[in-house]
Amino acid sequence: MSLEKITNPLHVRHWLGDMEADYIYTLGVAGEHFLEEIKENGRIMGAKCPRCNITYVPPKMYCEKCFAKLEKWVDIGKKGVVHTFTVATIDVDGKKLEKPVIYALIKFEGACGGLIHKIGETKPEKIKIGMKVEAVFKPSFERKASINDIAYFKPAE
Amino acid sequence: MSEVAIVGVGCVGFRPILPELSYKELMFEAAVKAYEDAGINPRKDVDVFITCAEDYLEGFSIFDEFVPDQLGAVLRHLFTVSGDGLLGLATAYMLIKTGQFDTVVLEAHSKASDILTFMDIVAFALDPILNRPLGGHPYYVAGMEMNRYLHDTCTTMEQCAQVAVKNKKNALENPYAAYGANITLDQVLCSDTWFYPLKKLEISTPADGCVVMVLASENVAEKLTDKSIWVKGVGWCTETPNLETRDWSKTVYTRLAAEMAYKKARIHSPWKELDFAEVNDLFAYKELQHMEALKLCEYGEAGKLTEEGLTARNGELPVNPSGGLLGMGYGLEASGMQKLLEVVLQLRGEAGRRQIPDAEVGLAHAWRGIPTATGITAVLSNVK
Repeated sequence: MSLEKITNPLHVRHWLGDMEADYIYTLGVAGEHFLEEIKENGRIMGAKCPRCNITYVPPKMYCEKCFAKLEKWVDIGKKGVVHTFTVATIDVDGKKLEKPVIYALIKFEGACGGLIHKIGETKPEKIKIGMKVEAVFKPSFERKASINDIAYFKPAE
Repeated sequence: MSEVAIVGVGCVGFRPILPELSYKELMFEAAVKAYEDAGINPRKDVDVFITCAEDYLEGFSIFDEFVPDQLGAVLRHLFTVSGDGLLGLATAYMLIKTGQFDTVVLEAHSKASDILTFMDIVAFALDPILNRPLGGHPYYVAGMEMNRYLHDTCTTMEQCAQVAVKNKKNALENPYAAYGANITLDQVLCSDTWFYPLKKLEISTPADGCVVMVLASENVAEKLTDKSIWVKGVGWCTETPNLETRDWSKTVYTRLAAEMAYKKARIHSPWKELDFAEVNDLFAYKELQHMEALKLCEYGEAGKLTEEGLTARNGELPVNPSGGLLGMGYGLEASGMQKLLEVVLQLRGEAGRRQIPDAEVGLAHAWRGIPTATGITAVLSNVK
């Protein structure tokens, strides 16, 4: 029995349609502060709940635990730890990537949450869960207040 | 309060592609089978119709409006649940429990082959500001989750691959399954690593199909049939949409959904009290993670049990005797209904060559896929 079966619907009679849907996504108070700090100062900020003593990264406007409004911003530094990672070898269309992409969840000391990002300046076989990494920022003139203003994370001492 | 019974089922598919039917005809054919099975006339005997569909997967804004005619529900009382079929089951269950409704029709389907850019839709479910700008195939999230799960539990890649071997083999006996195959552990382990450590053959492939069920209150059910399957408990939970703060090793959403259903169904030791379980296996490792969250075993034990054959069809607690999503194909929002269908057929003793002898209590479980953290659990029995 073959493992590969025909799944291409374009081989049967059909009508082709698409839906064009464009949006803007408002960053909001916490999101704007977070991305502005990355763009202007190359700093990764969290929001701290003084009552629960939790620092949220990425920052939120409210505490998930006690529902208080959060207004205290904390610089959590550029270094974190790989909580988990993967090496993607295909793109969104299923085509093989020329160069595999390493994705990771990076957690920061003393913070709740973390950042999903790419890992660079190393090889897939060198990545380990628990290894230290640090953010590499794009040059300031290239930054646009986007998560991609961080180019990637690289292995750190 | 009335008990709630499933009194009719109908299924078309699941196939890699069902080119001969439009989505409406697909729903129509499954509905005809379900109404015939229940012995009801949809134009007279149904109080409420529920369809489970997500607009983006259908290619329509407000898909609800395109539903009534093919279900026999024109000018009748119908609404859409924008989620998995098992969330529709929970809704139908509650409607009948109110005592205001006696007969409810539940429908969910997948015309996955009509979606040309399925992965773009999945990617569109990621956070637009924090995650989407990174780009790439959204199943990288599954690779990351599997990696952390293996790290925390010492579950092995071989144990995960064994899930794919087992489920695809089970599917060979299931006429509703699209991807049954006899494959070896080596074939799975040597298939391309798409999202390390996740392999190509450990990922369910979408399939076309439709499942329709008729639910009824105790009074109506007992008049219609002597093979009612009773819904003993339903539970659901969403953990968090945030990839950054969720638990990457334990599926908290499934644990809480299971506890809700078990409480209602008075299940205390699931491994002993259930005769089999239909567990979401969109990715092979998810079956193991979900088994643990469903309290079928301790955290970190599911891989070992699978390796020892205890979850095989002739094992102590068969898991996914239907072939699961790896074997049947991924029916999108109908994936919970694929599980429910198998539970009903097994409990009726109508599962053919894959019948589990003397099955009395079964579990159906669904997860809404990447990147969600939503799970639904239902416990069913052929004993009221």
